[in-house]
Amino acid sequence: MHIPDGFLSTPVWLALDVTGLPAVGLLARRARRELEEARAPLLGVMGAFVFAAQMINFPVAAGTSAHLVGGALLAITLGPAAASVVMTAILAVQAFVFQDGGILALGANVFNMGIAGVLAAWLPYRLWGAGRHRRTAIFAAGALSVLVSALLAVSELLASGVPVRPAALAFLLVVFGVSAAVEGVITVAVVRGIERLSPRIVRQATPERSWGLAVCGAGAVLLAAAGGLVASTNPDGLQWLGGQLDILGRITNLFAAPLADYRARWLGSPWISKAAAGTAGALLVGVICIALGRAAARPRSA
Amino acid sequence: MHHVVLERWSRGSSFLHARDARVKVLVLLAYLVALTTTTPMTAAAGTCYAALVAAAIVAARLPLAGLALRAATVLPFAGAFALFSLLAGDESRALSLVSKSYLSAAAVLILAGTTPLPKLVRGLESMGVPRFLTLVIHFLYRYLFVVSEQAQHMRMAALARGGGLRLAHAAGAAATLFGRSYARAEGIHGAMLARGFVGRMELLAEARLGAADVLFLLGGAGLATVLRLAMGTLI
Repeated sequence: MHIPDGFLSTPVWLALDVTGLPAVGLLARRARRELEEARAPLLGVMGAFVFAAQMINFPVAAGTSAHLVGGALLAITLGPAAASVVMTAILAVQAFVFQDGGILALGANVFNMGIAGVLAAWLPYRLWGAGRHRRTAIFAAGALSVLVSALLAVSELLASGVPVRPAALAFLLVVFGVSAAVEGVITVAVVRGIERLSPRIVRQATPERSWGLAVCGAGAVLLAAAGGLVASTNPDGLQWLGGQLDILGRITNLFAAPLADYRARWLGSPWISKAAAGTAGALLVGVICIALGRAAARPRSA
Repeated sequence: MHHVVLERWSRGSSFLHARDARVKVLVLLAYLVALTTTTPMTAAAGTCYAALVAAAIVAARLPLAGLALRAATVLPFAGAFALFSLLAGDESRALSLVSKSYLSAAAVLILAGTTPLPKLVRGLESMGVPRFLTLVIHFLYRYLFVVSEQAQHMRMAALARGGGLRLAHAAGAAATLFGRSYARAEGIHGAMLARGFVGRMELLAEARLGAADVLFLLGGAGLATVLRLAMGTLI
């Protein structure tokens, strides 16, 4: 789901631009390091491949057909950092050339599909991709990448005040569930095909038997997706956080009497405190993701 | 294909075509911020913002109807959520979602229709986007057409053989396309290294900010700001 411009409220798009776009900058640095040399041509052509692969119709039940979304496939074949960079490049070209997704909403779309979606795909593959449950792990990677990005997109829309009735929300959730399952099936089929045709390309995940990490990771993915949805259907939570920040503003106010009036108005504005609350939340999720990424990457480098 | 038309548009020679990419990006951002923060979106505000877009289209000598049609790609998404808003009884929200997203798409199309993508990406690079990312965008755009055409050939070949009916066939086609793209990427990379590629795309001429660019920036961003201040409440 590519969010166009004009849908998100200012605190939401601003917070996600401020956190999501620099995060991709960091990932770009990391991807360049991981891939040894300037492998930009490879990543660019893989991005073009994802575009082109969307022309291939995958027959689903009852005469309908679907197409590959590709985030999970990129994570499995290129690794998460490179996959995030490719997804960001795809989203940028879609926004500028194809009007698919907005420019101000680019940070939100990059966060949903390029960062959270790729991480959600990488997690199950990293944990179970090498063992007996390889196919299940690949299915989960495809399904989770679509589900997490769609849930995040909807929670951002809800947090922006786009009114969606419970019935419409239930309809959307069913649509997301079905498309997530379809993406899982397609990803499994395509990865199997790639393994047969060019086996050296697919990254083999090293076996990992850490249940603690698995629970932690699943928790983070659920927290990010479902938690966001719950939090945004209940905007009081964000307002409460804003209120807390407002209290902070009043405390600093006591120490800065000359600027008192100005500060109180500045920090007291609901817009600023909402933006601050949103940014703080996104940063928190970012820190959790980085910590998880570090934990997941450690055994490989050791 | 869509981006071929855009390529043709972007080779024009109007006042807007000649402006520096960075300046155009900044003016676009000013317009988008003004448009998206305008609440409530009244009919008068919508008309003013639409007039600004129309004036830019005329100034750029782009086809008005063609551009209006292309901007309609946002309508399925916007329409779905406008419908949800209508169902929730929020008519003004529905109208604002459709009008804001449509005008935003039209504004972005003006940028894309007056700026060749290599210039645009170089502009973004000099505004702080990491070079590794801009390189990936360059390559993606260059090979988009090549790989898409290959996909279409494979599809045609599969149809000619009566295939494409089962999931396994489609998956095989995608896997083949993947392998070919990967091999193509390695070939491209080797060939570029052999020709002295050092990780940077060279343009024929480096962009320079002229007086007209600065004037356009001040005028465009100023107009968007004035419009925003005149319409709706502050924050």
